[in-house]
Amino acid sequence: MSISTLIPRSGKVRAGLAIVVAFVVIAVVGPFIARYDPNQTSFDMLEPPSGRHWLGTTQTGQDVFSQFMTGARTSLLVGLVAGVVSQVVSVAVGLLGGYLRGVADDLLYILTAVFLVIPGMPLLIVLTGYLPSRGLLSIAVVIAITSWAGSARVIRAQTLSLRNREFVEAARGTGESRARIMFFEVLPNMLPLVASGFLFSVIGGILAEAGLAFLGLGSLTTTSWGSMLYFAQNSQALLSGAWWWYVPPGLAIAVVGAGLALINFAIDEYSNPRLRTGSATRPGRSGRRAAAAVAAGAEAELSGVAETLAENDSPAGPGNDETAERTAAHPEFDRADEPELAPCLRTSPMPGSPIIEVDSLRVDYPTAFGTVHAVQDVSLTLRRGEILGLAGESGSGKSTLTNAITRLLRPPAEVAGGSIVYRADDGTPTDLLRLEDQGLRALRWNEIAVVFQSAMNALNPVTSIRAQFDDVIRVHRPGLPPARRTEIAGEHLERVGIPADRIDAYPHELSGGMKQRVAIAIALVLEPDVIFMDEPTTALDLLVQRDVLDQIVRLREEYGFAIVFTTHDLALLLEISDSVAVMRRGHLVEYGPARDLYREPGHQYTKNLLSSLEELGSLA
Amino acid sequence: MRFLLKKLALYAFIAWAALTLNFLIPRLMPGDPVQVLIAASEGQLTPEAAEAIKAQFGITDDPLLVQYLAYLGDLARLDLGVSLSHFPVPVSDIISGAMPWTLGLVGVATVISFLLGTGLGVLLAWRRGTWSDHVLPALTFLNAIPYFWMALILVLLLAVTLGWFPYAGGYDRTMFPELALPFIGSVLYHAALPALTIVIGSFAGWVLQMRNMTVTVLGEDYVSMAEAKGLPRRTVLFGYAARNAILPSITGFALALGAVVGGSMLTEVIFNYPGLGYTLFQAVSAQDFPLMQGLFLIISLAVIAANLIADAAYVVLDPRTRQGA
Repeated sequence: MSISTLIPRSGKVRAGLAIVVAFVVIAVVGPFIARYDPNQTSFDMLEPPSGRHWLGTTQTGQDVFSQFMTGARTSLLVGLVAGVVSQVVSVAVGLLGGYLRGVADDLLYILTAVFLVIPGMPLLIVLTGYLPSRGLLSIAVVIAITSWAGSARVIRAQTLSLRNREFVEAARGTGESRARIMFFEVLPNMLPLVASGFLFSVIGGILAEAGLAFLGLGSLTTTSWGSMLYFAQNSQALLSGAWWWYVPPGLAIAVVGAGLALINFAIDEYSNPRLRTGSATRPGRSGRRAAAAVAAGAEAELSGVAETLAENDSPAGPGNDETAERTAAHPEFDRADEPELAPCLRTSPMPGSPIIEVDSLRVDYPTAFGTVHAVQDVSLTLRRGEILGLAGESGSGKSTLTNAITRLLRPPAEVAGGSIVYRADDGTPTDLLRLEDQGLRALRWNEIAVVFQSAMNALNPVTSIRAQFDDVIRVHRPGLPPARRTEIAGEHLERVGIPADRIDAYPHELSGGMKQRVAIAIALVLEPDVIFMDEPTTALDLLVQRDVLDQIVRLREEYGFAIVFTTHDLALLLEISDSVAVMRRGHLVEYGPARDLYREPGHQYTKNLLSSLEELGSLA
Repeated sequence: MRFLLKKLALYAFIAWAALTLNFLIPRLMPGDPVQVLIAASEGQLTPEAAEAIKAQFGITDDPLLVQYLAYLGDLARLDLGVSLSHFPVPVSDIISGAMPWTLGLVGVATVISFLLGTGLGVLLAWRRGTWSDHVLPALTFLNAIPYFWMALILVLLLAVTLGWFPYAGGYDRTMFPELALPFIGSVLYHAALPALTIVIGSFAGWVLQMRNMTVTVLGEDYVSMAEAKGLPRRTVLFGYAARNAILPSITGFALALGAVVGGSMLTEVIFNYPGLGYTLFQAVSAQDFPLMQGLFLIISLAVIAANLIADAAYVVLDPRTRQGA
């Protein structure tokens, strides 16, 4: 990692860093450049800002600018100490509880809950009310005591999810001590959380100190922004219009707080790429859209591309920085950066009239590092009742292709060229790419339904199965009475082998296989012409997979809909599909009837795939 | 219902912890508050008041456990001792006088702020990638403004300069408190500015949380499926995305509520609003320890009750918690 990657690209984060650095400098050198002793009174009482007193004077003639500069040190120092102490406590409590589990965890959890729920400020006020002398340090410690709980809870949850990962298991296996595992294996993996917790503790500390000082409960012999506000309020500065006295300290607190929170944006976006917004990349419209690339959930696809480019076998992870670095070397890269053999496209001799025609489709992902051509010049024809298998490794562009057809592409991915035509029963063509909102909604599910990749996430977890049948029937068949809607939903559940009385179940009450069947039943409910199935069986265990597959094939016979079946499992496709399309790096490399493709694969890539399947014994 | 029962047990424990903390603080803090008070009074403390202090702090030489049992017994009889600064008014009387003001002001302002912030958060998430992203830094700034400073600025602009609102008190002092329209009007008029302070001070936090959560949820498969189903945009956004994104907001309610309560107390101080926060401030300034502790206890119990309500709402909103019911 070079220095340049340490400079944040996001404007928000840069602004935040600039603010915080500026105030830290003020806190360090401020007391030296203050022109007066902050407590020194004079006869220049309540003077507005002038050349002599840059920020005017107080009621007793003290120089507000000098107080402001001196106060910065106190406020930031209390915030810093409170932040450090509070974060040390929350890391210790969260890490111990989450890692040790059992009774220790239960006790620490309850302790955390107590401090989380009991309101901090009243406790703080009561505690400081009893403090015999109020030094800055004791105030910072009391603030920390009342503020560590929220962060401890977050760290505990993260520890729980990390403690069973492979690298922790491995460390346990090699006999590392528990303390070493906790602090050298687990802790480094949640530094973003700790850093974010620290930033908010510092903000909380600064705010709490200001609040206490404002109530007259701080160390009033030391000048801080809070004590300035206390004296301003007590001397009726508000009513006498001495804005220069109370505006600067309050504004400074808000600006420092905002600066720290802006830095936190970087941490948030690092750990949750979906949150990224525009300003993170190069200026201009395309840059802005590009930055949201990752936001749209395209990151897997994109890093897949980068992996292929780098000819790296390691699995595509969420390491966006890595991806960024690698792709940065290819400002405008093309997926076919090595000589490709000519694709082998055989005209499909399938019977039946065409229902979806894709012609020379191109889909681009503009990113900060150049445009990724995720789908290039793909042409396909799906006929009524046909099962089209779409194969390819992850990042090959197959999901981008199906998302383009179903109009589910998320920005910034955009169709750069080509056409997609849907043909109704009577052959009337509809240009899917030009379809407006209203027309698109009417076509969806009526004609084209989708079964999503992972059944676990395709159903809304907080509403019942009935509600998820009901909304789609109600929208597309507005005349039906509720009882009839329930009846239809029940019928379709029975079709996929689920008793109709499970209709009031929630998704979490069903097994993985049942959830996938429910998703298929919902897809069938309006009897569409085409169903897109994106790896519908991958997440299921083998026996259930077989069951679901048989069901799909049987239902296709019964209803006669066409299927576009996406998977990386070529053996499976050869078994169930009428025709097969193989994608690689955005290109269609092989397309034709399944039987021909199996007998004499035309493209080297397909040959390699098939021979590796044979070695594994997958093709009997 | 196991989830709710477990939560009930936890909150019962937290309430007990708050009671005990309240008992221990004066006994464990360095320095002896009784001596501090008697010394500070320089002989001006009436003998009755001195006795009251001793009674409150259990200056009997009994062992801690006996004092603790006596303390719990007093609480059971709702006896919180006698205020020192308003001697000999019972603490419970002062608290019950201040309670409705805070419940009305902070309660209503918090609900408004939660609804406003959550709604705006969903909107910003839906419109992400457009102008709306530029609102975020502004909201971050708003979220970092100390409540009391916000109150000062609002007072300056709306009360002092423009004279639209009164800048202190809970109602017009020339009126007699009664359940009549003019009085109620005056109460609402006086509550407007403090409520505005609390709403402006706290809604940005809800917006930021809800936006981030909704953006995350919008990437989930069930939202794509809702879109693929051809459902109207409103249904996709509220029935699927927001419906799921609001759950962490409710879980995070405890943390947020603590901050709101703290900020509201400072707001009350600025507006001399006759609620619990202002009373606590006065009690601390007057070193009225019995009143201070009574207030701490009541505020803690109120926050615990609010958390319990939030958890009950969570059970209604998330069927996964109802497992094994």
